[in-house]
Amino acid sequence: MNKLMAWIDERLPVSNFVKNHLSQYYAPKNFNFFYYFGALAIFVFILQIVTGIFLTIHYKPDAVQAFASVEYIMRDVEWGWLIRYMHSTGASFFFIIIYLHMFRAMMYGSYKNPRELLWIFGMLIFVLLMAEAFMGYLLPWGQMSYWGAQVIISLFGAIPFIGESLATWIRGDYVISDATLNRFFAFHVIAIPLLLFALIYLHLAALHTTGSNNPDGIEIKNYKDENGIPLDGIPFHPYYTVKDVFGLSFFLIIFAFIVFFLPELGGYFLEKDNFVPANPLKTPEHIVPVWYFTPFYAILRAIPDKFGGVLVMGLAIFVLFLLPWIDRCPVKSMRYRSRVYKILLTLFAISFIGLGYIGMNPVTPILTWVGRLFTLIYFGFFIVLYFISPKEKTKNVPDRVTMHE
Amino acid sequence: MNKYILILPLIFYSSLVGASANLELQTVLIDLNNKASLQRGAKIFMNNCFGCHSLKYQRYVKFIDHLSLDQETIEKNLIFTTDKNGKPTKIGSLMLNAVNSDHSKESFGIMPPDLTLIARSRGPDWLYTFLMSFYQDESRPFGVNNKLYPNVSMPHVLWWMEGIKKPINSDLSEFEYVKKGNITEIEYKQSTTDLVNFLTYVSEPAQLDRYRIGFWVMLFLVIFSFVAFLLKIEYWKDID
Repeated sequence: MNKLMAWIDERLPVSNFVKNHLSQYYAPKNFNFFYYFGALAIFVFILQIVTGIFLTIHYKPDAVQAFASVEYIMRDVEWGWLIRYMHSTGASFFFIIIYLHMFRAMMYGSYKNPRELLWIFGMLIFVLLMAEAFMGYLLPWGQMSYWGAQVIISLFGAIPFIGESLATWIRGDYVISDATLNRFFAFHVIAIPLLLFALIYLHLAALHTTGSNNPDGIEIKNYKDENGIPLDGIPFHPYYTVKDVFGLSFFLIIFAFIVFFLPELGGYFLEKDNFVPANPLKTPEHIVPVWYFTPFYAILRAIPDKFGGVLVMGLAIFVLFLLPWIDRCPVKSMRYRSRVYKILLTLFAISFIGLGYIGMNPVTPILTWVGRLFTLIYFGFFIVLYFISPKEKTKNVPDRVTMHE
Repeated sequence: MNKYILILPLIFYSSLVGASANLELQTVLIDLNNKASLQRGAKIFMNNCFGCHSLKYQRYVKFIDHLSLDQETIEKNLIFTTDKNGKPTKIGSLMLNAVNSDHSKESFGIMPPDLTLIARSRGPDWLYTFLMSFYQDESRPFGVNNKLYPNVSMPHVLWWMEGIKKPINSDLSEFEYVKKGNITEIEYKQSTTDLVNFLTYVSEPAQLDRYRIGFWVMLFLVIFSFVAFLLKIEYWKDID
C-alpha cells in the first residue's frame, strides 16, 4: 500500500494535496452552528448532480413529452419518485443553505479584507444558482413552470429599444415553447453546472489561500507556534470532517423528513398548479415564483414602473457584490461591533424574510406598501452602513479566539 | 404503528391544501391502507367516470400490487377499452379512453380533463366537496349546477346514487332531495370518500411506499446522528 502511494506520489501529488487541504489545513477551532453550511452546500451540489444524472436518463426535453416523462419517472421508473423528490427538495434546501451561508458572512464580516474575492466568487455562484433553479423549474412543463418562465423572461422585454428582441432571442420563439424548453434543458444540465463547478473550485481555492474567518473575526495566522502552526487552528481532518459528518447527518434527518413525508411542503417546494400540464391558452389565477425567488420578486413588484422594477431588482443583487467596500468598519465580527450594526443587520434580515412573504402572496394595496417599506429597509441597510461603518463605536477585539459552547 | 405514521402527514397535507381555497371545503379522511376502499373507488371510477375522464399516466397493471387485485379481475372487471385492432387493451397499458375531443367539445363545450393528477392539483377535500355540491338548476344544459364550481360543464354523473337535491333558499345554504338515489346519504358519502381515496392514490402511487420507507430511513438517520455525535465529542476532547 505504501509502495503504491509512493508510486502515485512520484507522478501525482496526492499525499501533498491531502496534507495541504485536509490533514494539515488549519481551521479556527471556534466555528459555531453557522459554519456547517459551506460543507452542506457542497453536499447538496453533489446530490443535485447525481440525482440530476438519473433524472436525465428518463426525462424527455420535449414540449409534448416532458410532463408525461416526469410522471413516468414518478410512477414507472424504479425509485424514480425518490430521485425526483430528492432533486426537487434539494433545490429548495440549496437556497436555504446558501442564504444562511451568506448571512453568516454578514454576521462575522467574512467578506472583508483579505476575503473580498472569496465573497465575489460566492456571489457569482449565487447568481448562477438562481439561473440554474429558474431554468430547471421549466423542465417539468407544468402550468407554473410555463407561466413563471413567461413572466420572468418578459421582464427582459421591459429594457428600452432592445428588450423585445432580447426576450425573443432568449426564448427562441415569440412565446415559451419547445425551443425554450430545449435550450433551458441544455443550460440546466450542462452549461451552468460546469460554470458552477469551476466557480466552486475557485471559491474553495480562495478560501484555502486566505484561510477561514471565524465568529470572532480574528486572523488566526497572526499567532503561530514555533512550527508555524496557528495556535488557534486545528487540522481540518479529522476535527472538522467528523464535526461535519454529524452536521450532515442532522441535516439529513430534516431533509429525509421532507422527502418522505412532505415533498410538496404544502405547495412551497412543489406548487399545486405544477401538477397541471402547461397550457399556453390558460393563465393561472396567481403566478407565483418558487419561495426562494420571492424576496426579489417582491422588490420587483414594489416599483410601479416595469423597467424601473427590473433595474431595482437587479440592483438588489448587484449591491451585495459591493458589500466588502460598502462596509468600511475595520472590525469583522458583529460580536465586537456597535449596537447600530446589530440593529441594521436585524432589520435587513427582517426585510428579506418579509419581502419573501410578500412575494408569495397576491398583490393587495397594503402588502404593496409594506413591500415598499421593506424594499427601502433592504437598500437602506447598505446606504446607512456605508456612512456609519467607518466611525462605528467598536469593542476591543481579543487577540485569540474565544470558545462558546 | 405503520398506519398511524401514514395518516399523520395526510391530515397535515389535507389541512394545508384546504386552507387556500375560497369556499369552505369539507374534510375527507384519506386512508390509503384501506385496500377495500381503494378497490371500491376504482370500481366507481371505471364504471362512472372513465367514459369521459382518462387516467393517462397510470397503468392498469399497477392495481395488482397497489390494490391487491389479480390480473383476471382487472381484465374482466376494469378494462373496457380495446386497442386499434379491436382486441382488449393489454394490462400493461396506460389508462386511456376512447373519448374523441371534437365530439366532447360539441357535447360539453370542453374536453373532459385527465384526472390522474387532479387530487394533487386540487386536493382531496376539494374533490370531495365538489362531488357533494351538485344541485338541480334547470337553467343549465344538464339540469344541474355545482355550488363549489359554479356553471361547471360536467353533469351530475353520480345522481343515480345520490339522488338530486334542490336549493330551498337562494343563497344555496340548504337543500332538499327531490329525487331519491339508490343508496342512502351516508352510503353516498362513503362511496364519494372511496372515489376520492382512489384518486388520491392514483395521483401519487409512491405514497404507498414513501411513508413506510421514510419511517425506517428516519430511524436509521437518528441512530446514525447519535453515533456521529458521540464520535465528534470523542475527537473534540483534545481541543480546549
